[in-house]
Parts: sequence; structure tokens; C-alpha cells
Amino acid sequence: MSTTTPPVQPAAPSGALDISSTPRVPFGRLVRVEVRKSLDTRAGRWFAGSIVALCLAIVLITAFAAPDAAQDLGFFLSVSGATLGYFLPILLILMVTSEWSQRTGLVTFTLEPHRARVVGAKFCAGLLLGLGLIVLAFAIGALGNVIAGGAWDVETGTLVNGVIVANLIGIVLGFAIGMLLMNSPAAIVAYFIYTLVLPIAVGILGAFQEWFADLAPWIEFNTAQASLFEGDAVPTGEELGQLLVSGFIWLVVPFAVGLWRLLRAEPK
Amino acid sequence: MITVEGLTKTYGGFRAVDDVSFVAQPGRVTGFLGPNGAGKTTTMRIMVGLTPPTQGRVTIGGHAYQDIPNPGRHVGVLLDASAQHAGRTGREVLTIGARTMGLPDSRVDEILEMVSLTPAEAKRRVRNYSLGMRQRLGVAHALLGDPSVLILDEPANGLDPAGIRWMRGLLKGYADRGGTVLLSSHLLHEVEQIADEMILIGRGRIVAQGDKKTLLSGQAASSLVTSLDNDALARALTAAGHSASPAGEGLRVDCETAEVGRAALAAGVVLTDLRSGAAGLEDLFLELTADTQREGHPAAATAQGGAA
Repeated sequence: MSTTTPPVQPAAPSGALDISSTPRVPFGRLVRVEVRKSLDTRAGRWFAGSIVALCLAIVLITAFAAPDAAQDLGFFLSVSGATLGYFLPILLILMVTSEWSQRTGLVTFTLEPHRARVVGAKFCAGLLLGLGLIVLAFAIGALGNVIAGGAWDVETGTLVNGVIVANLIGIVLGFAIGMLLMNSPAAIVAYFIYTLVLPIAVGILGAFQEWFADLAPWIEFNTAQASLFEGDAVPTGEELGQLLVSGFIWLVVPFAVGLWRLLRAEPK
Repeated sequence: MITVEGLTKTYGGFRAVDDVSFVAQPGRVTGFLGPNGAGKTTTMRIMVGLTPPTQGRVTIGGHAYQDIPNPGRHVGVLLDASAQHAGRTGREVLTIGARTMGLPDSRVDEILEMVSLTPAEAKRRVRNYSLGMRQRLGVAHALLGDPSVLILDEPANGLDPAGIRWMRGLLKGYADRGGTVLLSSHLLHEVEQIADEMILIGRGRIVAQGDKKTLLSGQAASSLVTSLDNDALARALTAAGHSASPAGEGLRVDCETAEVGRAALAAGVVLTDLRSGAAGLEDLFLELTADTQREGHPAAATAQGGAA
């Protein structure tokens, strides 16, 4: 076994560290490392790959199964985008929680002790990955339209609100849940409860109580987001208000509390 | 150089670290020794900014850890070799570190060779690593940025005897070239052989510090001697003003070995065995940390035939 090592940096006689010639880790480098970290494990690669495969499968099935009259580019983009929207937040959740569940935070936060920079880099990396997947989802939607021979019509509302804005919300949401819970299984379960169980419960309640049906879009973010998927419709003032109010409750508050928690937590 | 000043960390009413101060000098290996739960890891975590101290401060080379830009290039840290993503390969773990620090990927190959992880092993996922391999990977990660200060928590844990010898050589050589090394352990033998300076900690407090000689200097002199005529030797020693009592096949005497030799020479008794009977570092360590040992008083444990 070899014990040869390159010479240790000459320390000043006093033992002082000369840090004048060391620049801090550039932010861009942190972002690149975070992108790499989310794809460098088998789990990470398979998860991202599975999302794309699932989009493809669902678009292909719809291309053959849905009535021809409904099929145009906008339709396929929203199908592909909605499929992505279900799973993209989980990718973000795992980016955050793996530092705690896999305990890599010990190394990450030692190499960059300014935790806010790490969080910022992670968020940017998540945005980049998310945007990459949105582009892929677009391509898959377009492919579906080619196969189905649909018209190349797309309503701006579908494109911007239903696919881009909805998925960006998903990115922020996943990041917020990840920071809030700092535990992979718990965060994923919480996400599915939020996105699948909650809207159904609210819907059922709303069906029996009219006052609650009126209130729901104000306090339940999924219900409020329904207005994003209504084709070309620009959200009305009321819908926008509902989005902002429920978004504040379900997006801004968890994000702020999660960030506060993550910046203070002790990685064990 | 690592300077710890009046460091205290409390969790609720529990004082995990209690007014700890010490200095780890460059060119020396400083051993941080204490039983499980004595506060070693907490102290090291505070050093690198993972845990905020309740009171006191730590500087590394004159700077707070948070103020060191790209700290991986100055301070090598290994806190827990198992704290790695199980799904990453060993090489990937190092590549991420190298990329973060802005080092070329060729540095990863260099360091893998230095810690004797083969290319085939480096391609395996960390979940398939033995504890010894994880330790090597962890040490590799700490050395990656060619730092001048090393902070290693239980680096020899899980290494086989050859691995421990390798680690000893590596760290010794590192300190000889001017590096500062602080390593913790709960195993005295490990630290005794490698550390120039030792800090003994028990229940969050430093109970003793210094080099081996200083630590043992307070101990009363004692010798163990066996001769062909123990009775004659005992008489000679008593006449010389020492007290000798039977111990096993020989005698225990309350003086330096030289005094015993002199008395034997004068009395013309043939010695077959003569050595220092002073309590070793282990006894000192157990004595100093007696109230913090889980096994209760070490004397009781020793009397039952088992080391505490």
C-alpha cells in the first residue's frame, strides 16, 4: 500500500491559512454539480427516464384511443404536460430530501457551508431539469400529433398556463415539500395526498355543501389551478385572486417554512 | 492550525460539549479521545459549521470555517464514512467532490490510487462497500482538495490491521509535511500510536491534554520485577527504603526500574524480568473518564477480569 502523497500546502509558520488566492465556489459550478447529482444514481436516471417513457406511452395511447375530432397539437401537449406534471415534483422532492435521507448533506454542506447558496443552486438545477423535461414533453406531444395526424392548432392558454405555468408550480411545490419534510418517503406520500386525495375530498365536500364549493378554489390550490387548463381563457380577476390566495397557502407558506427549516437543520 | 475556544453546545438541558478549549498545531497529529457520546463528533461538527455552537468559537488557520472560500481546498473533512448516497459509485462520489472544488477529474484517479481503491472497486456502488472501503473513500474525499488541515472523525473505524497501519503512515507523513491533523477515536491504542498530542474528553469536558509523556508524568513510579531470589531482593529493596509487595510470580515496587536494578546489583540477585509497572495511558484514560464510562467504575470492571 502506497503512502506517497503530494506535498501538503505550505502552511505559514503561525499555522494561519492563506485564503487570499482561493475564490469561493462559483454559483454556476454548484448548479452543474446539483444537476449531476440528481442524475448520477441509477434511481435518479431511471426516475427521469420513466417520466419521459410514461409521457410517451400515454401520448401514444391517446393518439390511438381518443376521438379524432379532439386531437390537435394543443390536446397532445396538454396530455403530455399533465403527465409530466404529476411526476416532476417528485424529482424535485428527491433532489432535496436525498441530502437528508441519504445523509449526503454532511458532505454537501461542508464543501459549501453557505447553505443558502446550495439551496439556490439546487433550485436552479431543478428548474433546468424541469425545463428540459418540459421541452421533452413538448416534443413527445408533437410526436403524438404527427402520429394521430391532428391539426397543428394550439391555444396559447394551453401552452402557457396548462403546461408551462402548471409545471413550474409543480417544481416549486416539490421543492417546498422536500424542504419542509426533509425525508423522501414522507415527502412523496405528502405530495400524493396533496395532489390526489385533497382535491377529491374537497370535491366531495363541495358537492354536498354549496358554500364550500364556492370557498374551495380560494383555499385549495389544485381546485384553483383548474382555471389554468381551460384552453385560451386568461384567468379572470376572481380566478387570479383564487390562484394567488390558495397559492400563498399551499406554495409560499410551505416554501418559506421549509427554507427556514432547512437552513437551520443539523445534518446528522 | 485549529483553535477551539470555550466551546459549549447544549441540547435542551444536556451539555454535549462543555467549555472545550484546545489547539491542534500544524505538523502534529492531534488525537481527540473519549468514550462514545463524550462530545467528540459534536465538537467536530461545530468546527465545520454543521452545528452552531451555543457558546465559544472555532477558528481554522485563523478563520471561521464559514469564511473559508472553497473550504474543501483548505480543510479536509471526514465526519461519517457511511454518509454517502448508497447508489453512487465510489468514483462518482469523488467526482462530485472534485467538480465542486474545481479540480480536474484526473485528481480522482490520483486519490483513488493513494487510498488503494482499485478501478474495479471505484466502479462499485457505495452500498456494496465494506466499512473499511467506505473509510478509504472517506479519507480519499478528505484529501481530494490537497488541504493543509484534516479533520477526521473515527477514521480507523472498520479498518483491518493493515488498513490501520496504512492510515497511521498516511497521517503521520501528512503531519510531517506540515499539515494539521485532528482525528478522533474511542480506541486508545489507535490514537496512542499515531498522535503527537492527545486531548482526552469525557462527558463534554476535556479531562486531560498533552503528549504521552506529559500525560503520564503525574503517575507514581512503579516497577514489576521477577528474580531468582525474590525474598532476598525484597529485603534489599526494603533496606533501600522502597516498599515491595508480592505480585504474581514477582514483586511490585514503588520506585523506578533503575532503583530496582541498583538494589539487585548490590544484593547480587539475578533478575529475570524487570519492567515499568506504572499505570499506562489506558488506566489513566479510564480513571479520568471514570464517571463517564457506561460500565461504571473501571476498577470494578477490571476486577471482574474484563476491560471496561
